[in-house]
Amino acid sequence: MMEKLLTKIDIQNECTYMTKGAQMPFCKGCGHTHILRKLDEALFRIKLNPEDICLVTDIGCIGLADYLFDKVHTVHTTHGRSTAFATGIALADKVLASKKLKTIVLIGDGGAMIGLLHIVNAALLNTDVTVLVADNFLFGMTGGQQSAFSPINFVTQTSPFGNIIPPLDLCKVAISSKAQFVARKISTDKDLVDVIAEAISFEGFSLVEILELCTEYAVEKNKLKGTDLPEIALEHGHQLGLLINEKLRPEFSKIYSEKFMDKPFEFNLFSQFLSTENVNLDQDKFQSKFGESQLEIIIAGSAGEKVQSSAALLCQSAALNGLFTTQKNDNPVTQGSGFSLSEVIISPQEIFYTGVDKPFAIIIVSNDGLNELRSQNYFEKITSDTILIFDESLNMPVLTSKMYKLPLRKSCGPDKAALGGIDFLLNLTQPFQIETFKNLIQKRFGSYENLYKEDILKYLN
Amino acid sequence: MQTSQRKIKLRNGNQMIAEGAIYAGCKFFAGYPITPASGIYKGMIDLLPQVGGLAIPSPDEISAIAYCVGASMRGIKSMTATSGPGWSLMIETVQYALITETPLVIVVVQRLGPATGGATQGAQGDILFTEFATSGGYTIPVLYPTNPRECFELTVKAFNWSEKLRTPVILLSDKEIGMTTETVDYSDLENLIVENREYIDPENSNFEDWKMYGFKDAKDIAKFAPVGGKIKVTATGSAHNMDGELKKNDPETISVLKHLEDKIQSHKDELIDYEYFENPNSNTLIISFGITGRTVREVIRRTKKMNKNVSSLIIRSLFPIPENLFKTISDKYNRIIIAEENLNGQYRRLIQYLFNNKEVIGVNKIGGMITPQEILEKI
Ligand SMILES: Cc1ncc(C[n+]2csc(CCOP(=O)(O)OP(=O)(O)O)c2C)c(N)n1
Ligand code: SF4
Ligand SMILES: [Mg+2]
Repeated sequence: MMEKLLTKIDIQNECTYMTKGAQMPFCKGCGHTHILRKLDEALFRIKLNPEDICLVTDIGCIGLADYLFDKVHTVHTTHGRSTAFATGIALADKVLASKKLKTIVLIGDGGAMIGLLHIVNAALLNTDVTVLVADNFLFGMTGGQQSAFSPINFVTQTSPFGNIIPPLDLCKVAISSKAQFVARKISTDKDLVDVIAEAISFEGFSLVEILELCTEYAVEKNKLKGTDLPEIALEHGHQLGLLINEKLRPEFSKIYSEKFMDKPFEFNLFSQFLSTENVNLDQDKFQSKFGESQLEIIIAGSAGEKVQSSAALLCQSAALNGLFTTQKNDNPVTQGSGFSLSEVIISPQEIFYTGVDKPFAIIIVSNDGLNELRSQNYFEKITSDTILIFDESLNMPVLTSKMYKLPLRKSCGPDKAALGGIDFLLNLTQPFQIETFKNLIQKRFGSYENLYKEDILKYLN
Repeated sequence: MQTSQRKIKLRNGNQMIAEGAIYAGCKFFAGYPITPASGIYKGMIDLLPQVGGLAIPSPDEISAIAYCVGASMRGIKSMTATSGPGWSLMIETVQYALITETPLVIVVVQRLGPATGGATQGAQGDILFTEFATSGGYTIPVLYPTNPRECFELTVKAFNWSEKLRTPVILLSDKEIGMTTETVDYSDLENLIVENREYIDPENSNFEDWKMYGFKDAKDIAKFAPVGGKIKVTATGSAHNMDGELKKNDPETISVLKHLEDKIQSHKDELIDYEYFENPNSNTLIISFGITGRTVREVIRRTKKMNKNVSSLIIRSLFPIPENLFKTISDKYNRIIIAEENLNGQYRRLIQYLFNNKEVIGVNKIGGMITPQEILEKI
């Protein structure tokens, strides 16, 4: 029976974090055995509290390692994703919890490639994760297929005539991902324990790629011995040893905590409501004026000309009058150019359906807006009663009984033309106390009167 | 006459999901931008640092969900949000959360598929895609609000159930709910109850009986032990026994695999969330959810004035399928209209068997919201 409480383990006197008497599940001579024994020795050397160690294992033969370590937390994950799970664990621990956890990933060469971006990002974040890559140049567990780490001419199940694709230099990838502790070692190196211990102790991201042999699939086909490993690395220009060990950047949580965590948190979701206390909305009066249906208003113009924020002011003022509103915005995927469009609905009752059926009013302030309304077939929805307010520069493709051709751009300027159009509509139809809208403009722009160079309200008739 | 005792803000569904998550005690979010879900990411980036949490950009959706699973294993309530293309990438990892019984909320804000589809167009086309995403066919609870206020409420509920059942829960939304800014009434939201996973306490007398993935009966959920705590965690995505040990052809392991489903099914009736409007003179019932539920509310409003008799059932908990509710309510009707904004009636085809001997009519479309008129025509 294994001990359920990690706090009960006396690490000063127990010399191993491994399960006593556990059988290594690997083939005879497999490099994984070396690596795991060295990891155990390294852990014993740093004598961390067992509860402060989390071993995150990947898939593959190397992924079987978790059950060999019964005195630490183990998380056996999915293929290649171990580094990502470990990143989540480490981020949460270091920023939000005990801040003591050491998170160690055990991953194969196969896992390192399929999950390469997780390694790259953990390195960029510089979160406190140590990635130990057991590199046996192939997929062991699935029968010895070639991997992105297979040397040139390497014979595997899937490269029977010798591999023709050069192997990845993972350490270089890690270094260009701003990793500050990176080493490439051989599983039989005398100082492997030291390097692993140092990597784990390193505050921040660290990676050790450990070259080893899969005795089952690599040795016979390639006539390899363990002593060939350094040469294989060097032939491909892959440097050996401790490649970088510097501390120019603090570990992630140090930076984050300094920026965000060292202060009191006073945030309240339930404050800053719109002040509607003094509003009495007469639904019947509204409906006798405008009929049963909700008021659908479309505002169209060009990107960068504040169409959508003007529509938001309209909604805000309607809401301040106790009305219900919805606002939908639309623009091309490249948000800074082309048209900009808002659909606003105002109603004295809760708005269920948020689509436009019969527009109450359409305000068009530029050609981009007009073209978009055309291409989205908005004009097919208008009735003879739809109010059309548009800039004098535009030619309307339709006729209604309520058309207002106004010098909006000239009088208000391009970025306030939509605001002018809305103001005109409100003055024309008086759906609520329009002082609210004027006040919002005043607050936002300093003055309401300055909205117009030329008074366009004179066109109200 | 309507006097305003309401507490109003202008908010969209995405913002309300972010706020609901904050209210529920979420302290970790990992995100990757995608329309129409990006607003949730942005919301969490803005809000989490103000409450002592962490929102982290991730390099892809696989990382986003894996970061969340890791954080949740550490004991932190976590959430991520995406849309169809990103959800596609998350499917291996959501299953890992499921088998390791890790609480997690995943928001899927639907857009028009397949593939890149229509990034800025709404749809309800991912009903089957979210639910049937597991190898082995496990039930992931799916909640689906109809408006921003419900986004808040159901986010809290999604967290509560993910915590209590130790399972991933999906909150479905869609572009129209997520990105339409509306007047939202916050009244009473501050009274919603927040629930948390139960932690195992080593001082507890039955600690000796506790197992990482242990249970006594279908409803029983193992108490949680965080990575980094005093109790050894043995988590694995492989089929495992109650202690988390990898075992093949072992009856205990099979019972653990079965329990993953049983625990959801046995709590099924508690998960049910719906809105029922009954017209006693009607023999037609409209079933709908999400954005289409709002169209149906409008239909009900109009039919009341037209002297047409029709009832409505809006489902907010799509999965596990509330079979008993459907059976009991549909008993009173002989025509069932099921409206959903997708190609061929995804949910209808799943629940149709519950309405034997009744006329079942689908209202389906893609490329735009179903209009009140399109439903009225079928009544
Ligand atoms: C997503 C996914 N694809 C494929 C597999 C199948 N698979 C299991 S082990 C393995 C190879 C692992 O190779 P490596 O990471 O080098 O570890 P080794 O077995 O060599 O120790 C693969 C591809 C899987 N588990 N998951
Ligand atoms: S197949 Fe290769 S990697 Fe796997 S255990 Fe055997 S020797 Fe080791
Ligand atoms: Mg390998």
